[in-house]
Amino acid sequence: MDRTQPEDGKGHKRTRSAVKATRPRSSTKGPLDAADPLAPPPATSQPSTTIPPPSSSSTTTTTPAPTPPSPNPQLIPQPTPRMHPSHTPRAASPLPRSPALSPTPGTPRRPPPGSTAPLRPKDFSFLLRPEIFHPLTPLNIPPAFRNSTKQPPPETPLPELLEKGHFRAAAISAVQTLTGTGRTPQQPDPSDHVRIFDLLYTRWACLTLINSTDLAAQEVKALGDLNSAFYLSEDPTSGKTHHLVPWGLRVLNVRLQAIGFGDLRRAVMSYYELAREARVKLGEAMGEHDNSSRELWRERLEDLGVRVAGTLVEMGDVKGAGEHLRGLKVGDGGKMEMMRALLWLRLGDVDAARGCVMNGEGRGVTRGEKVVLALCDMADGEYEEAVAKWRELEEEEEGDEMVMVNLAVCLLYVGRMQEGRALLEGMVDAGRSSHTLLFNLTTMYELCTERARSLKVRLSEKVAAMEETNDGWEKTNADFKL
Amino acid sequence: MSHQRHFSDAAVKEPHSVSLKVLRLTRPSLVSQYPLSPPLSSSSSITPPPPLPASLSYSPSSTNPTPFLLSPILALPPSFGSAYVGTTFSCTLCANHDIPPPIDGGPPLSVKTIRDVKIEAEMKTPSSPTLIPLLPPGNDEGTDLSPGGTLQKIVSFDLREEGAHTLVVQVSYYEATSTSGRARMFRKLYQFVCKGLLVVRTKTSALGLGKQGNRRWVLEAQIENSGGGGETGDGGGEVVFMEEIGLELEKGLRGRDLNFWGRGRGREKVVLRAGEGEEVVFVVEEEGEWDGKEEEEGRRVFGVLQIGWRGEGGGRGSLATGRLGTRVLRPREGGAVSKV
Repeated sequence: MDRTQPEDGKGHKRTRSAVKATRPRSSTKGPLDAADPLAPPPATSQPSTTIPPPSSSSTTTTTPAPTPPSPNPQLIPQPTPRMHPSHTPRAASPLPRSPALSPTPGTPRRPPPGSTAPLRPKDFSFLLRPEIFHPLTPLNIPPAFRNSTKQPPPETPLPELLEKGHFRAAAISAVQTLTGTGRTPQQPDPSDHVRIFDLLYTRWACLTLINSTDLAAQEVKALGDLNSAFYLSEDPTSGKTHHLVPWGLRVLNVRLQAIGFGDLRRAVMSYYELAREARVKLGEAMGEHDNSSRELWRERLEDLGVRVAGTLVEMGDVKGAGEHLRGLKVGDGGKMEMMRALLWLRLGDVDAARGCVMNGEGRGVTRGEKVVLALCDMADGEYEEAVAKWRELEEEEEGDEMVMVNLAVCLLYVGRMQEGRALLEGMVDAGRSSHTLLFNLTTMYELCTERARSLKVRLSEKVAAMEETNDGWEKTNADFKL
Repeated sequence: MSHQRHFSDAAVKEPHSVSLKVLRLTRPSLVSQYPLSPPLSSSSSITPPPPLPASLSYSPSSTNPTPFLLSPILALPPSFGSAYVGTTFSCTLCANHDIPPPIDGGPPLSVKTIRDVKIEAEMKTPSSPTLIPLLPPGNDEGTDLSPGGTLQKIVSFDLREEGAHTLVVQVSYYEATSTSGRARMFRKLYQFVCKGLLVVRTKTSALGLGKQGNRRWVLEAQIENSGGGGETGDGGGEVVFMEEIGLELEKGLRGRDLNFWGRGRGREKVVLRAGEGEEVVFVVEEEGEWDGKEEEEGRRVFGVLQIGWRGEGGGRGSLATGRLGTRVLRPREGGAVSKV
């Protein structure tokens, strides 16, 4: 199973289950775990991992047979050969050991003697390999988009693609840059972690936006364990460590890895690990009276707390999510009330949802409260009353997408689908095109005729003719139920 | 909802000008969202940038609790789902005046006039067929449909039996061309299986005489959610929020609820995921002193257990057990297990 284990003839062996090794490890950091700038990437203690020697083109490597990339890209990149927590005594000092352990002497893992080792940049070339990335098929794009003149030319710069909502093109472009293929800008230097991670984040964020989260979940495994010391960097002057991977990517990575490994509980744990770090940073910022940094970390901490609640919901533990939210101090302007009310609505506890916004008063006062009360009516099956509430909300503030979509849905439940359909079509004419809007409208089309397909195709043409914005221009067949 | 057949006068081979489409109306669902910070935004910014609009379930608004998973925008039911005893089956029926497409560049077909469209629905349950009233109530004369027009009705039916159900929908209309006209009619059948969701097991045992010399019993009930899905409850299977478990007692009896959950402050929510169960206990006692006589039938009836629950999104369900009681001949060993 473990074909990446070449330590034959050694006095000790490690049994590493490949699966285990690639999973994000829970953090057990001790004082000895601090990143050692002198150290080569820990992966070097395992010559078979696929971190190639730095700039192998310019260095003579005496490795007899350079380890070929594993055929299974999911198992390869392990920049973090630190072991299971139970092996901590060994894992705590893996770095000095590495040369001795190395079965391939002469591999230029260490800089030549005499060079200033601390400045040797880390090598991220294992994230630039083309085999990590999946091709994206254009087949699930409706022809109206595929053949549109709005399709960007291949040389369009990435920021422009994102600005205009060409997320599929952006995902492709990011990979072309990373792998040095195509007509996109030059491939980043393997040590240029800022650019590499920006491109990776763009790639995976865009995949989640085009209904390809599963692909992203596979690709993100290439990062291995982001808790590894390999991803840490120490500031030589202040001695502080910081993570080389941008926060947004680390947060996204939590969800994607959990999906990739089919274990959402993992995500809860990983969010807590990030939260632990955020607390430390928050503490540091407060100690230094750095207000902007304090605000930043406080917001990140809140964000993580809310994401944990969402993950619990996805795990089916709505009650647990409610308990969790109770312990959070988040948001203002009724955001917490809205979150709790939505939770209870999801669960079906309509009384509790009402209780979140009524506080003993007769009716909701704020807009959010009124929205919750209208949703409660629908959960109770009181659709006529809900229609009245949605109408009132719509008149108060024209053009609120959520209110209009919900009104249209509600109209269908009271037998006035034609009005609902007209409302949704009016929104499309006004330039709206969210997934939910399109899904509901195409569902109504399916009810309106035996030949819904032509209506759907016409809708896709209408949406394809819309202006490109960062709301996302290109849609998939699934959006139109085609 | 698979099987469907057309009934009509066999002589008429011409396709119908009216089509029937249906959608089961379970509760609409709150749409999930996964907010993302925008790519390529400067990572050194002081505050986190607002989430990328495309990653939200609807255009940015003060009502969106980003970065929370659930958002208040609603999506129509994506699929039929499962049907359970004790819930209400609701479905919308749409009779549409479909305009046939022109045949291969030929002249457009002459559009017919469709009048007096009527929809009738009947539910065939394992025991008997039942006619279902339609909502909203319309005129009995029928509705005229212009080309592309739709007559929409909604049916609601309380599911009380396990087993195969068939929703029979009959559409009748009058079809007129410039020269002639005729009455036409067709039926469509939609089959589905109704399953039990909650399994209730009860057990009674005697508690001896109370202070006033009255007889007392303990009634235990175990309620299990058998609503499919995996054991872990990770998204699979039905989730049941128990709204009410109450004992409706016969005259001359009073009951005490020994449970820590239910309505009211400080009480805990009971949520049953697929495969999970909950135990409830009641003490049942007679109001007067026991005269020492046993019941002639050898059985003391307490009453029924009423269970009310809500499904995901708030869909209601309710069940009542059969009449619960205990054999009184040998009260100390009393114990009856009944299954609903």
